[in-house]
Amino acid sequence: MASKGNLTLKSCNGKEFIVEEKVAVMSTTIKNMVDVDDSFAQGVIPIIGVDGKILAKLIEYCKEHAEADEDEEVKSEEYLKKFDEKFVDELNLNDLYDLLKASNYLEITKLLNLLCQKVASMIKGKKPEEIRRIFNIKNDFTPEEEEEINRQNPWAF
Amino acid sequence: MAVEMNDQANGAVAVAGGIDLYELPEGCIANALSLTSPRDACRLSLVASTFRSAAQSDDVWERFLPPDYRDVLGRSAEGIKLLRSSMSKKELYVRLCDEPILIDNGTKSFSLEKSSGKKCYMLAASDLTIVWGDTPRYWKWISLSESRFAVVAELLDVCWLEIRGKIRSCMLSPDSTYAAYLVFSSRTRTYGFEYQPAEASIVISGQEGQKQAVHLDPDGAQRLRQHIRPRRRRGVFGLRQAALMSQPETIPTDSDVQYAKQRGDGWMEAKLGEIFINGGQDVELDMSLMEIKGGNWKSGLIVQGIEVRPKEGK
Repeated sequence: MASKGNLTLKSCNGKEFIVEEKVAVMSTTIKNMVDVDDSFAQGVIPIIGVDGKILAKLIEYCKEHAEADEDEEVKSEEYLKKFDEKFVDELNLNDLYDLLKASNYLEITKLLNLLCQKVASMIKGKKPEEIRRIFNIKNDFTPEEEEEINRQNPWAF
Repeated sequence: MAVEMNDQANGAVAVAGGIDLYELPEGCIANALSLTSPRDACRLSLVASTFRSAAQSDDVWERFLPPDYRDVLGRSAEGIKLLRSSMSKKELYVRLCDEPILIDNGTKSFSLEKSSGKKCYMLAASDLTIVWGDTPRYWKWISLSESRFAVVAELLDVCWLEIRGKIRSCMLSPDSTYAAYLVFSSRTRTYGFEYQPAEASIVISGQEGQKQAVHLDPDGAQRLRQHIRPRRRRGVFGLRQAALMSQPETIPTDSDVQYAKQRGDGWMEAKLGEIFINGGQDVELDMSLMEIKGGNWKSGLIVQGIEVRPKEGK
């Protein structure tokens, strides 16, 4: 049981994390749960579809940003920028993908934007076939559909 | 191996241990695409159907349109009509790239540079300061169907050619290098531009900047270079010679001289200069083209306006 001001988050594989409320409510989804139903604040909040490893990552990110929001002097903008850079640099593709899904579901906007920025930097200027290879995506177009897309945007190719 | 083969056979996306961006929420893909570029978003429509559908979304193209596009379009009846129409944001984007719209009572045109979405403007000749422009003996205001503006300025005859335009930097896309061009065409009887380049510049108002030498009549200059040059010393162009001698510091070497170029729309353009637009400050930019040193009569230019557009790839 979490003490006052703390929340307990439980991953889909049963790992529990006790975190400060200000850290947990970086997630709009969790904030809404706590706001409408007080019992969540006392009990355990299940985080569906997010395993312990990814949840730990999410908490690490939210902790830094919640603390920075509270005290800019201790954690400056520059510090956060470096933290963000390191955070995304260290992710492998699987983690990036899982974190994207999790931060989308939990509505952690800042993190979602950071991760999308990372994806953008990975796809910018690349050819469709390179993107498919990097991200392991199957081309589900028929040749006719491909031609149609080429025809629609002649200036881009 | 067996797993991979099985996956392929089923048309499934992920292989063992791989990831599956295909299954990402479309919003995430759209978010990522909106952080790339219009060109990337179109090209990456080809990746897979989720990408195509994300790449068409209004959310993505709203981000590619300039933040103030509603204000700019609000400055013209045509623009307001576009804003009220049911076209998608992508259609609006392409429309603004392909067909400039007239704003501010037809004194300027506004468009977007296709690959980046950065703002482009052309100031109509009527929005420029043209010395002697209101003297019918020297300049004539005419309508041309090839022009996007109601009137263009035809040069009948002047010695003192001076054309100036102003634009505020906040109208342009921030943190980009822009170039300004005089957009013009020539009558067949054009003369007086072959002897010397004009001087052009774009500077922050009140500051001194680099001057660019530009030949408005590249063919004439070329002819002169090939056939007449050796005779110059004998005083055929004494007047010009005198001008050259009196102000030698302003005459750039040949390698620095630019030549007017043919545009895709049938007009010519002469580059006036380049300037970096710093997003943090709003300043007035002065653009000018002058040819006042030759002292000879000049005729035959038809000025449509001054175009300000982002330098390619910047």
